[in-house]
Amino acid sequence: MKISEIGIERLLRISSLLVIVGLVLEIVSLLWFHPLSFVLFAFVAASLIGLGVLVYLTSLVFAGASDHENRN
Amino acid sequence: MIGVLICQIVLSIVLASVFLIRPSLTHAASWKILAFIGLCVLPALCIVGGMNTHVQRSEQTQFCISCHVMIPYGQSLYVDDPGHIPAQHFQNHRVPTDMACYSCHADYTIYGPLKDKLQGLKRIYVQYVSTPPDPAAIRIAGGFKNAQCLHCHLGARSFEENPVHVAMMDSLKSEQDSCLGSGCHDTAHDVANVSHLKMWRPAQ
Repeated sequence: MKISEIGIERLLRISSLLVIVGLVLEIVSLLWFHPLSFVLFAFVAASLIGLGVLVYLTSLVFAGASDHENRN
Repeated sequence: MIGVLICQIVLSIVLASVFLIRPSLTHAASWKILAFIGLCVLPALCIVGGMNTHVQRSEQTQFCISCHVMIPYGQSLYVDDPGHIPAQHFQNHRVPTDMACYSCHADYTIYGPLKDKLQGLKRIYVQYVSTPPDPAAIRIAGGFKNAQCLHCHLGARSFEENPVHVAMMDSLKSEQDSCLGSGCHDTAHDVANVSHLKMWRPAQ
């Protein structure tokens, strides 16, 4: 299945959802004073945020590619 | 400081929520810029800010003794005996009391803080996945280095003018003799007996 078939808007939704969940977990990790809070932040929250940013950047690449196709 | 970071995170969540509900907004140029800020710039800044806060927090005494096996080590800071090196440093503010563990146990080399954090992750693994050791059986890998003591004491008048220190200065610097193991300052955290020792109660 091609990413262009999934749709740029859907990619944006996935990206937003990943970023929101990651950021909520980051708030939890900041308010939780426990050694595991660092693990929660570094391995779960930061990974989800990073993945969300990556999906967003991917959507930008496909948005640019579809614009190029439309011009041609 | 943590309040500013949480405000930044909340702002980022609000922006990301807008694009979760209405992704079609990004067809307009100005919303594209806002999407870039909300889904890329702000989340990246939140990761940096979060990492910074967690690293600073992990240097606090309260954080170190929040692990069950470290509780007797925290108690040993209150032993009412000047012969106990950690207690003497903590009670006389020779180290910042809120960073007492980190001040003496940090690796002061260039990649030291990174090594410390990786070591900390290993300890979390041992605590929660493997079998945590008995507190009295915990030993620092490679022993306690003189460099940790000399980081502060080297150059201090009372240290440099002490005839015993003068006589052994070279061997202390080269780690041939140990500050703790050579029989001079040999009582560190006596966790095996900490429950039987007299404790200092700071005045409120």
